[in-house]
Amino acid sequence: MTVTAARNINVSQATAEGLRLEMEADASVLVIGEDVAAQGGVFGSTRGLLKAFGPGRVLDTPISEMAFTGMAVGLAMEGYRPVVEIMFVDFIGVCLEQVYNAIAKIPYMSGGRVPMPVVIKTAGGSIGAAAQHSQTLWGLFAHLPGLRVVAPSNPYDSKGMIAAAVRSDDPVVFIEHKGLLLQRAADFAFGAAVPKECYDVPLDRAAVVRPGADLTLVTLSGSVRHAVAAAAAAADRGVDVEVVDLRSVVPIDWETVCGSAARTRRLLVVDEDYLGFGLSGELITGVVERLGLGALDHVARHGTPDVPVPAALSLEREIVPGADSILAAVLRAAGGTR
Amino acid sequence: MDLSTGRRDDWERRYRLMSLMRRFEEACLEGVASGEIHGELHTAIGQEAIAAALAEHLLPGDALTSTHRNHLHAIAKGVPLVPLLAEIFEKETGLCGGHGGHMHVFSPEDRFSATGIVGASLPVALGHAYAARLEGRDAVAVAVIGDGAVNTGGFAEAMNMAGVLRLGLVVVIENNEWAISVPFSASSATPTLAERAPAYGAVGERVDGLDIDEVSAALGRAVGRARTGGGPAVVEAMCYRFRGHYEGDLDLYRDGAEKARRIAEKDPLRLAEQALDAAGLVTSERLAELAASADEEIRAALAAVRAAAQPDPRTARDHVFASGLVPANAVREETTA
Ligand SMILES: Cc1ncc(C[n+]2csc(CCOP(=O)(O)OP(=O)(O)O)c2C)c(N)n1
Repeated sequence: MTVTAARNINVSQATAEGLRLEMEADASVLVIGEDVAAQGGVFGSTRGLLKAFGPGRVLDTPISEMAFTGMAVGLAMEGYRPVVEIMFVDFIGVCLEQVYNAIAKIPYMSGGRVPMPVVIKTAGGSIGAAAQHSQTLWGLFAHLPGLRVVAPSNPYDSKGMIAAAVRSDDPVVFIEHKGLLLQRAADFAFGAAVPKECYDVPLDRAAVVRPGADLTLVTLSGSVRHAVAAAAAAADRGVDVEVVDLRSVVPIDWETVCGSAARTRRLLVVDEDYLGFGLSGELITGVVERLGLGALDHVARHGTPDVPVPAALSLEREIVPGADSILAAVLRAAGGTR
Repeated sequence: MDLSTGRRDDWERRYRLMSLMRRFEEACLEGVASGEIHGELHTAIGQEAIAAALAEHLLPGDALTSTHRNHLHAIAKGVPLVPLLAEIFEKETGLCGGHGGHMHVFSPEDRFSATGIVGASLPVALGHAYAARLEGRDAVAVAVIGDGAVNTGGFAEAMNMAGVLRLGLVVVIENNEWAISVPFSASSATPTLAERAPAYGAVGERVDGLDIDEVSAALGRAVGRARTGGGPAVVEAMCYRFRGHYEGDLDLYRDGAEKARRIAEKDPLRLAEQALDAAGLVTSERLAELAASADEEIRAALAAVRAAAQPDPRTARDHVFASGLVPANAVREETTA
C-alpha cells in the first residue's frame, strides 16, 4: 500500500470517506436513513455516497424509524451489512424496540446462528439544542447487552472507527458528536490528519491523547477536546494530567484505563452523558474492582447531572461539562487528599 | 378565495393576524442573525394562512399540540406573544423560563404544547380528546403535523385509536411538500394524505393551504364534526415552506428557480392582499395600515424580549421533579477554582 500524505479534513468528511471505502470493498454494505442520500446527511457524513453507489444502496427514507431500523434486522438476516442513520440519538425512542429487542438480542437468542452486523449511526452532544436534541445516551445503549457502543473524538478516529464498525460482525452503535461534526478541520488539536487509504481503528482500544503523571482523566467524544484544553491549563498550575480518550464504551479498554490509573493513583471521569447509573460509575467501579481499593488515592467524576439539558445557553453551561468546569474538576481532584 | 362570504372587518382581522404571524417569524430571523437565538430555528414563513385559519376555530377549552415548527400554532391558540417570543429567545421571562426553547413551548393555561420529536404530538392530542370525553366537554383536540410525520408509527396508532373511540381529534397536516431534503412524492405511498383518513374511520379533506378561506371552511367542517361527537378528521393543507428546513440549512435540495417562483407567486399574504384589493373589499391603503399595526405590535414585543435577561444559571436544576426533588448528583458542586 502506498501511503499518501494525510489531509486535514473534518469529521463528517472523514466518516463519509470511511463509509465510501467500506461500500467499495463490500457490496453488502447499505446506508439507510432520513436525508442520507440526496442531502448526504444533515451533517454531511454520508455526502457523496448516493452518487457513488446509487439509490439502492443509499436509501432516503420516510420519517419511519421503527420501520427502517427493523428493516436492518431483515437485511442482516439476508446477509447485508446495513448502516442505519438515526439523525439525532434523541430520536432513538421511536425505534428502540428494534434496537434492543431485535438487533441486540437476536445473535444471543439464536444461539449464535443469526449475527446482526448492523451499525446504528447517530449524533449526540449538547450544542444549545435543548432537552430533546442534546443528549449523548451512550450509557443507555451500554446498559443493553449485545450492543457495542463507540464515540470517536476526532477525524482520524471517525474514519477508522466507522470502517471497523461496518466490518464488525457485532452490532455497533456509532455515536458522532454534533459539536465535532460542526468543528472545522483546522480546529482539531489532534487526529486531524487523515490518510486517504482504507484503515481501521480497533473498536476496543482507548487512546492516551495526552500523557501525564499526576492524574488520569478518562473521557470520550466531544469532551476530549475540552479535557485536553483543561489539561493544558492545569499544567500551568503544576498538575500533570493524563487524558485518556476511551473511544469505546462497550467494551471498555480496561488495560489502558487501569494502567494509567495505577500509575497516577488519581482517577477523574468526565462524561457528557447523564451522570447517574452510567459510564462514570461503571468506570470507577471497574477500576476499583481490578486494582483494589488501595490502588487509588482519589476518584472523582464530573458529568451532566441527572437534569434534562435546558435550552438557554446560560443554563446549558451550568450543567454540561466544558473546558472550564473540567479544569475546576481536575483541580479539585488533584487537590483531593493532598 | 371566496370574498363573497365574510364581512369586511372579518377579513381585516384575518389579514392583520397573518401579517402579525409573518412579522413574528421575521423577528425570530432577526434574533438568529444577531446570535440572540441559537440552535435550529424552524420558521413557518409561507404557511401563515393555515395557522390563521386555525385561530378562527379554536376555543380556550380546545387543545393544540404542535411540532418543531410551532410558533404560528402557538399564536393561533392564543398564547401571549411576549412570553412566547421570550421563550424562543430563551429569556428568563419566557413561557418556560428558558428551559424549553423554541422547539418546546408549553402553555398549559392555553392547552398548548409542542415537541421536537416528529410524530410525537399526535398521541398527546389523543389524551386531550379523551379527557374531553371523560369530562363530557365538547372540546376538540387538534394535532398539527407536517407531511413527514404522517409516516411515523405514532400517526397510525393515534389515528386508529381516535377512530375506534370516536374521539374529537382533528389532525391538521401542513403539507409543505418536504421533510427536510426528502420530497413528499418520495415518502408517501399514497398521492394524498387525506385519503389515508378513511382507513381509520376518519374523514379526510385536502385543501389549498395558501387560501385562508378554504382552510378555514374545511377546519370548520372538521372541528364542528369532532365537537359534536362525529369522530376524527384529517385536513391536509397544501403549502410550501419559504425558508430552509431550519435557519442555517443551505437548502440545496430544492431547485432555486422553482423556489423563487413559488415565493413570488404563492405567498399567502400577497394572495390575500391582491384578492381583497381586487374585490374592492379592503383598500390597499387599509391593508398597509393593518400590516403597519402588526409590525408595531411585534416591534414592541421584540423590544420587551430584548430587554429581558438570560435565565439565572441557578435555575438550571429546577423543575426536574414537580415535588422539588433534586437528585444528589444534580446539586451544584461548589467550584474551588
Ligand atoms: C422521530 C424523529 N425523527 C427525525 C427527526 C428529525 N426531523 C426533524 S423535522 C424533520 C422533518 C419533518 O418533516 P415534516 O413532518 O414534513 O414537517 P416540516 O419540517 O416539513 O414542517 C425531521 C426528519 C425528529 N425530530 N424526530
